[in-house]
Amino acid sequence: MKLINRLTLWYLAITTFVLLASGIIVFYRVQAEIENEVQTRLKRDIDYTAQLLGDGLSVDSVQGNQIEIKEISMTAAIIPLKVTDSMGVYSPYRRALDRKFTVASSHKINGKHYYISAYNFIAEPDEILEGIIASLTVTLLILLLFVAVTSRQMSKQILSNFNRTLKTIQGFDLKQKNRIKLAETRTYEFKELNQFLEKMTNRALDDYRSLKEFSENASHELQTPLAIIRGKLELLLETHIDEKQASLIEGIQNAVQKLSSINQSLVLLTKLENQEYPVKEKMDVSTFVRRSIDSFRELIEMKSISLTTEINPDIHLNLNPFVADILLTNLLSNAIRHNFMNGSIEVVLTSSGLSVKNTGDPPKVNTQELFKRFKKDKQSSESTGLGLAIVKQICDLNNFKVAYEFANGFHELKIDFPTNKKTSNSPQSVS
Amino acid sequence: MKVLIVEDNNDLARNIQEFLQHEGYVSELSSNCKEAEEKLNSFQYDCVVLDIMLPDGSGLSLLEKIKEQKIKTNVLIISAKNSLDDKIYGLDKGADDYLTKPFHLSELNARLKAIYRRNALEGDSTVSFNEIVLNTTSMEARVHGTALDLTKKEFDLLLYFLINKNRILTRQSLAEHLWGDYTDNLANFDFVYQHVKNLRKKIASARGNDYIGTVYGIGYKFDTNI
Repeated sequence: MKLINRLTLWYLAITTFVLLASGIIVFYRVQAEIENEVQTRLKRDIDYTAQLLGDGLSVDSVQGNQIEIKEISMTAAIIPLKVTDSMGVYSPYRRALDRKFTVASSHKINGKHYYISAYNFIAEPDEILEGIIASLTVTLLILLLFVAVTSRQMSKQILSNFNRTLKTIQGFDLKQKNRIKLAETRTYEFKELNQFLEKMTNRALDDYRSLKEFSENASHELQTPLAIIRGKLELLLETHIDEKQASLIEGIQNAVQKLSSINQSLVLLTKLENQEYPVKEKMDVSTFVRRSIDSFRELIEMKSISLTTEINPDIHLNLNPFVADILLTNLLSNAIRHNFMNGSIEVVLTSSGLSVKNTGDPPKVNTQELFKRFKKDKQSSESTGLGLAIVKQICDLNNFKVAYEFANGFHELKIDFPTNKKTSNSPQSVS
Repeated sequence: MKVLIVEDNNDLARNIQEFLQHEGYVSELSSNCKEAEEKLNSFQYDCVVLDIMLPDGSGLSLLEKIKEQKIKTNVLIISAKNSLDDKIYGLDKGADDYLTKPFHLSELNARLKAIYRRNALEGDSTVSFNEIVLNTTSMEARVHGTALDLTKKEFDLLLYFLINKNRILTRQSLAEHLWGDYTDNLANFDFVYQHVKNLRKKIASARGNDYIGTVYGIGYKFDTNI
């Protein structure tokens, strides 16, 4: 639930409660006020009537409009004030049942005892209640309308800084070069949040950078000693050695070879990560794939692998040629290396993607796992375990989707090109 | 052939120097651009083996100077940087070849000789030993004057053997020479064995000597002393 909605709900709950309470108070206050007022006025009428009677006017001339005079026995005690409030009395004016408020008192005037009562029809409590409810409902509606109209604006205003911070953080990437910059804010909580976020992201960036620098330097620095070892071993082979020594040297050479190819792959991964291979122009992927396959043809034949290709012409993509070469080399070499003698390979290139299928032993681990660095199906195998990690990295960089599936005895690596680049492969002309 | 090795790592430079010595080359070492420039201005070299990352600048700038001052020499770039840009830039600036570290010394030798053939020997494209004659332009191989029907790989292989005579060539170095970047694919080196076997058979069928022999099961050697 949005913060503003939560706040609004709270606000409305409180408002409703307050309105309800004030309705009750208003009801009783209005009720009391009316009664008080009517009573005072009727009392005054009685007093005036008594005065008129005292002045010698006859009972009949005074009695009349809402005033009743009765003569009672002189011996009866004087009634100072009697208030009757009766509901449901027939009112001749309204011709309906109404609330009749009567005030009466007795007066001894000129040796006679008069019981004078004055009444009036006043608003019934449920009528007052109705009025109050109606007015409060209107108030509530006005409030609701006002809140609904302003809350969005208010939240935009108040939370604008927060939203900006949120957007910056969502766009934060450890690989980015610049530190994040959050907008100034006067709200204390947001200020604190921004300070914390800036500190945290800066720290993460620094740590990531130093870690990356370390691995970059490490792999770079390893290259030279590896090259020296290789050279020395070659020179050692030229000296007078016996068979035992020769096979030892070969063992070392193979290990060094593997070490340096792991190292080169790591350096390559770092370079890809650092985006050192910018995309300058669209390349003709169709021709490129065909050419790559040609360069592998001999290796394919050596394993007597049957090759089927379906390459649509004129497929152009934004891709760096060096990167494309690495991608294809990795895909095709995997398809050959992990294949059987007399196996088969199928390469399909369409405008929507590239698929490389090959026969081979079923994978022993989850195929998605193989995209991770140093994950291999057979731990003992000759491969470095970095080939698919490189493939994944390249695909990620170019917004390609890559999936590895095994079905019906076929390993399939499927790369989906982004669809929004439709402009690149305009109507296909078959050449 | 006289070679100038410009490489800041002493061990690496010595490896190259020692290897080339066996080949009968005269080689000198420079560990930085400045020293190399002085040497190039004072002496004549057939080829410069040039590292790109040097303590006092890029080897590419030295290459530019060589071309600007029209110093008559060939340049072979060796670099740990396997970036395509470096390679293209280097070759664009007039380098004759480019080799990525780490490389086999026998491969460096083959590349140097190829450059030498192309430039210093002014287009003499034949490489020969006794009855074997290879024409590197027409890709023709003759034994006792009989043309051999060799595949491209077999021709490359024979040329590599002739250039690295009397050296042990490991299967790894042969595979790398023949298949380059795709060597990783050859889980074992049976393919090298196949090619060598075919080559020997073809030479033998033209009554050539069997100079190529296996060495301790780790590689092959073109032995001139048979």
